[in-house]
Amino acid sequence: MPHLSTHVTRVLQGLLTLMLTLFGLLLITFALSAFSPVDRVLQIVGDHASQSTYDQVRHQLGLDQPLPVQFWHYVQNLAHGDLGTASATGQPVLQDLLHAFPATLELATLALIIGGLLGVIAGVLCARYAGTALDLTIRTLTLLGNSVPIFWLGLLMLALFYAKLQWSAGPGRLDDVWQFTVEPRTGFALVDTWLSGDRDAFRNAISHLVLPVLLLAYYSLASITRLTRSACLSEMNKEYILLARAKGAGEMTILLRHVLPNIRSTLLTVIALAYTSMLEGAVLTETVFSWPGIGRYLTTALFAGDTTAVMGGTLLIGVCFVLINNLTDLLVRATDPRVR
Amino acid sequence: MTKKLLPLLVLAVLSATANAATPPNTLVVAQGLDDIVSLDPAEANELSSIQTVPSLYQRLVQPDRTNPEKITPILAESWQADAAAKTLTIKLKPDAKFASGNPLRPEDVIFSYTRAVTLNKSPAFILNVLGWDASNIESQLKKVDDHTLTLHWTADVSPSVALNILSTPIASIVDQKLVSANVKDNDFGNAWLKMHSAGSGAFKMRVYQPHQAIVLEANETAPGGAPKLKSIIIKNVPDPASRRLLIQQGDADVARDLGADQISALEGKSGVKVLSIPSAEQNYLVFNTGNSANPLLNNPAFWEASRWLVDYDGITKNLLKGQYFVHQSFLPVGLPGALEDNPFKFDPAKAKAILAKAGIKDAHFTLDVENKPPFITIAQSMQASFAQGGVKVDLLPAAGSQVYARVRAKQHQAAIRLWIPDYFDAHSNASAFAWNDGKSSTVAGLNGWKIPELNKATLAAVAEPDPAKRLGLYKKMQEELQHNSPYVFVDQGKTQIVVRDNVKGYQQGLNADMVWYDNVTK
Repeated sequence: MPHLSTHVTRVLQGLLTLMLTLFGLLLITFALSAFSPVDRVLQIVGDHASQSTYDQVRHQLGLDQPLPVQFWHYVQNLAHGDLGTASATGQPVLQDLLHAFPATLELATLALIIGGLLGVIAGVLCARYAGTALDLTIRTLTLLGNSVPIFWLGLLMLALFYAKLQWSAGPGRLDDVWQFTVEPRTGFALVDTWLSGDRDAFRNAISHLVLPVLLLAYYSLASITRLTRSACLSEMNKEYILLARAKGAGEMTILLRHVLPNIRSTLLTVIALAYTSMLEGAVLTETVFSWPGIGRYLTTALFAGDTTAVMGGTLLIGVCFVLINNLTDLLVRATDPRVR
Repeated sequence: MTKKLLPLLVLAVLSATANAATPPNTLVVAQGLDDIVSLDPAEANELSSIQTVPSLYQRLVQPDRTNPEKITPILAESWQADAAAKTLTIKLKPDAKFASGNPLRPEDVIFSYTRAVTLNKSPAFILNVLGWDASNIESQLKKVDDHTLTLHWTADVSPSVALNILSTPIASIVDQKLVSANVKDNDFGNAWLKMHSAGSGAFKMRVYQPHQAIVLEANETAPGGAPKLKSIIIKNVPDPASRRLLIQQGDADVARDLGADQISALEGKSGVKVLSIPSAEQNYLVFNTGNSANPLLNNPAFWEASRWLVDYDGITKNLLKGQYFVHQSFLPVGLPGALEDNPFKFDPAKAKAILAKAGIKDAHFTLDVENKPPFITIAQSMQASFAQGGVKVDLLPAAGSQVYARVRAKQHQAAIRLWIPDYFDAHSNASAFAWNDGKSSTVAGLNGWKIPELNKATLAAVAEPDPAKRLGLYKKMQEELQHNSPYVFVDQGKTQIVVRDNVKGYQQGLNADMVWYDNVTK
């Protein structure tokens, strides 16, 4: 059974890499938090509090312990599934993360579907009509996505589509009439409103998603389009394509039938990268759209000097990053015989 | 299937346009809520929590809403003060009830004060002014009968100061029976009260989702009467530009903390009105006299010259666009005893003369400042105006928490800070600016200012039972600090909030906790 042992070794190697990556992540985040000039105690007690209150809170947070001891306690608790209590919310970090993560996941996944689809189509079109006005226009439009600050574009979209034209809902995940009446069963606004059976609530959830999803999708477009285009073009110079051309196949047929299947590993990797960057990088979008996701949770925790929350959130994103990358590798292996 | 679904989806999106209306009978408030650490009244100490606690809890007494200089009974029916015995005998309203239906008892008052002092959370220092601490609090509070109790204090403070201290949010009365049922690990119900309420205020907590929203529901049996609206939704909208859009569109009824430019843009717009409410918030420049790295900081002539090097009018009128006004003493306008005289103006020639007379050459200092308005705006103006007097200012902008930490560690040379009184009494600010016992974290203490005479004056003023004489003492102290201190008091704020036209009955007072939603209609 040589195959099985190879697989087991590969899985074990993967797990070891995962553990080491996460440990490194923990160590770096902890060091950054520990040496940050932000005083976590002052964030909680304010600067009017008496010295005895300050000392009491410092002790409660364990900050009067040496740094290695603090880190050891954190790792110990982590092993028991306890990510600690966030000083910024007063709630267990795990509970906060479980609350915030679905909001980001919903936003990022929808943005990825739209951004991925449009990006690949745009990339293929650019390759097909390389050097033409269409190619230049698409590339300019997608590149603009990376040049304009995301918060600025988000505000412009809100001002135009929400304030001026009133085509979409404003910031937040749901209007107030539904925000506290729809039961949060899964944490995904679309699913929860669908399950509630209230069509208006479902439509409202879609309406709230449109602008932030489009904004995030637009930001992933530039890289997906560019890489699809260049991968297509480099593939199109290969001999088997020349042969197909010689046989009289049309350019679009060549692109769809021969080129795309052959660049799927590149596409999968690009899309996976876009997904991970959306999961961690939706910070400004979430702030502008008052989206209670992981990005905003982490920013708030960071400003509050809430080390426990920052470490918990970073760990979650790290796990996602590693999982998505491993999953992509698996997918690439499963779909592309050349890399097996 | 896809062909059918796609147009449906597009239609759904387009038809779900913003309806520009908040739910009826509900007030939607858009503001930042990320500062909240806790909504337990014994712990609440941040702006957003301090503004929320009065809707959930009541206190025995409170400054009158329209005339805050007068203290009025809320849960107390009456009180009798004995200055010599340092005692207040309080009669409770016999029919007062908590939102849970439990009647208000002396035990609730004793429990509330005991837990606040024993928990020793950040605002506990306010109750410590009475001499209360964890070791003596139980002996200071006695039940007399089912509706009466006595409160004793050990510190030399007059009964009027004691009453003012009991009017602060930390002195809110919680329902002992309800809280006791939710105690965990001897925490006096602290963890539970962070997310729930147990008070007798006009509202009770329906939902609190940290960093998202606080939803308050009318307490129909509130001792002060049921509120006019059924619920209040205080939404966390961290971005001020988004808050502006929400109020403009009618998706919020009230928007707080908008910048000067956003307020200007909304002024005169149909559907909204801008309320400008006096606030007790003050900004000041302070020199760390204990920092030996720069001998200038301890030089009274340098302090004096600095007062003539601030462009007060330029800062308040041009840069802060009327959101602040010039005020140059340590009590804010509106607080009893405030000195409203502003003797200083920008006069670099005069400052140069003072510096020359004192033999000060090549004056310079570093200035710690929060990297957000209004602080950074004030700092940049000072950098320019001090330069005209020959004083070089190096700005050290940083996040608020970094500035707090540097000041607390006494590493700063100078800093621009904000101050809001913790209770509606002159002692709140006097004990911050004119009191330094070498141990407490007062403003004077953090800036190493040694002031035995002012310490005596502060103690004499707080112990003075005659109200008129007390105010006279504070006036003298303000004059002294105005001319001979390491502080340059720059301005006082106005709270500008935007409300929809149909919102009536919103009340807000001078201090941070004076926010009332119970009379609001729409």
